[in-house]
Amino acid sequence: MIVFFLAPLLLSLISGVLLTFIFLPSPKNDLQGLLLRLFVGGGLGIGLSACLYFVSLPAGLSGYIPLIDLAVCLVLGLIGYVLMKRDRREAERPAESQLPDRKAALPKMGSKLETWIAVLFAVELLASLGSFLFAFLKEPHGKWDAWLIWNMHARFLYRSGEAWREVFAGGMDWSHWDYPLLLPLSIVRGWKYIGNDSIYIPAAFALLFTLLTLGLLLCALAFLRSRIQGYLAAMILLGTPFFIMMGASQFADVPLAFFMLATLVLLCLPARSPENRFGATVLAGIAAGLCAWTKNEGLLFLLIVTGSLFGTTLYADGWRSARKKTVRFLAGALPILLIVIYFKTQLSPANDLMEGFSLTVAAAKLTDFSRYAEIAKAFFITGISFTQGLIDLRVGMQLNPGAVNILLLIVYLLLTGVRIDDRDRTGLVRTAAVLLMILAGYFFVYVMTPLDLGYHLATSLNRLFLQLWPSVIFLFFLTAGAPETAPSPGDISRTASKPSTTKPAKGNKPKRIREPK
Amino acid sequence: MVHGFAKYRATAGWLLLVLLTGYAVLSLLWQQIHLYPGIPETDPVTIHEARIAQLRPLLPPSGAVGYVTTVENGEIFAAEKTFTNVEFLAQYVLTQYTLAPRIVRNSPDLPFVVGNFIDGPPAPGFLEKNGLVPIRDLGDGLILYRKDRKP
Repeated sequence: MIVFFLAPLLLSLISGVLLTFIFLPSPKNDLQGLLLRLFVGGGLGIGLSACLYFVSLPAGLSGYIPLIDLAVCLVLGLIGYVLMKRDRREAERPAESQLPDRKAALPKMGSKLETWIAVLFAVELLASLGSFLFAFLKEPHGKWDAWLIWNMHARFLYRSGEAWREVFAGGMDWSHWDYPLLLPLSIVRGWKYIGNDSIYIPAAFALLFTLLTLGLLLCALAFLRSRIQGYLAAMILLGTPFFIMMGASQFADVPLAFFMLATLVLLCLPARSPENRFGATVLAGIAAGLCAWTKNEGLLFLLIVTGSLFGTTLYADGWRSARKKTVRFLAGALPILLIVIYFKTQLSPANDLMEGFSLTVAAAKLTDFSRYAEIAKAFFITGISFTQGLIDLRVGMQLNPGAVNILLLIVYLLLTGVRIDDRDRTGLVRTAAVLLMILAGYFFVYVMTPLDLGYHLATSLNRLFLQLWPSVIFLFFLTAGAPETAPSPGDISRTASKPSTTKPAKGNKPKRIREPK
Repeated sequence: MVHGFAKYRATAGWLLLVLLTGYAVLSLLWQQIHLYPGIPETDPVTIHEARIAQLRPLLPPSGAVGYVTTVENGEIFAAEKTFTNVEFLAQYVLTQYTLAPRIVRNSPDLPFVVGNFIDGPPAPGFLEKNGLVPIRDLGDGLILYRKDRKP
């Protein structure tokens, strides 16, 4: 039984990791690199398995999904093996390009500070796993939206069998059947493996996405900055009660947060690893596509990331590079986007936010400045308080900053100072632009909402902020000076890392990086 | 001297972060542990599911069934929107969650109608007005009705 329970999770993880070996042909597979592959690839594997399951549904092949998954794993493994062999042969020749020797740029493994922070991180991780477990025992079916939307959709799709299409026209608008299917189909896939709709499968995916988000944040910063920065960033996420409780609640917000973070991390990777430039951008496209397959907000994210990628690359590297990068990114996103388009046009009912939309109504709302004031107030209060959890709807929005919030990140940044590696500058600007634009996008969705504004803000804004929270932490730590290398005055805009020994790829001119004093 | 000060600031930065995140993580754990003894052995969703699941063998395996409760059907969603009562909506949604893939319509106008009166009986005359004839009383406020076409 346990084998069937673990099989869908493991096959997804393995296929995702194999995909990273194909698209990120890094010659250095140290523990840090492998962990980054595991966390990025694991999430992408789960998302792509849900896509594959969706494709198998109209083809009537959903009953064979374990065999299909296995075949995909074998094919990806074979391609990965062939590519690895080829890379090894090439590596024996005088290398033209290699990954930067990150080890030289990082503090020695096992420095006292790092060991202490790693131990504290481990304690916090165990405590958070305990909180997750208690939350699951308290509400094994998850919170409200889990059984109103995500697990409900999974049950319908699993129990309807061949009649799965009919549920979308069932008239149950209150259950939001227009929401994308990544999470429900991942659950259905798990149920198919074990042969029943056990409550443990949704909970397992909830735990997995919580850990994947945490691991990705840690490993990405450990890769781009330092292990200590990675641990500290992950501790911020662990110290966010809302993140742990939302993870245990079995909502789709944590999976979406994962795919958003994965997109932004993968777009930052090529600057440090020119050899992986092509594949990392394609994988970023896949991750952004999976955002759109997880929640409707993901479509806005995909649009904004595409625009920002084009804009920032155009500014930094010129038209040709911008076009190339954007095409690669869209090549990754396109297959998933086609699935989303098929779902939206052929199956899903209309979105409730589009209800009663007309130019007159839109103009009236756009010129109603009291709405702007109400939304701005809600953004301010929620921006400081969302980390503390769901708000009591009867009491309404109240300032509740708790111990960990955006202010802590700002204070941390003020204390440690700003240190930006020249190589990360474009990625950093892009990440900041994406986050700001998506906030602006959310703002205008609220301006235009046909729902009662207070109700809509109270029931969704904190979750929207949570989706962006891991990416915001990533951005802050990509900017902050590392505690192990405090900046000296006049050194606020340079990195502490040593210059790369790598010969940069074409179009990626090296910039002088000052040594720390 | 100033560089040394920067070092202290950086140390203060990570110390502050470690202390506050540690406090937040342990507070959450403490809160969860503290709540745990007060949690009933079975959670409300599982209890509701077990109660509603008794209807499954009495209903067709697919198709739609109706739903009535203590308040008029129109009030179920309205009460939630105004934050005055979420219980009726939760009960309705959990009935649907349990009976899937059958569709539970928020209406008394279907051949089979689920009566969920855990919060008390409906207003006098409501059942008669809608021509609902009881088929089976499963106890604990759960009754399956048949729609009489000529009320």
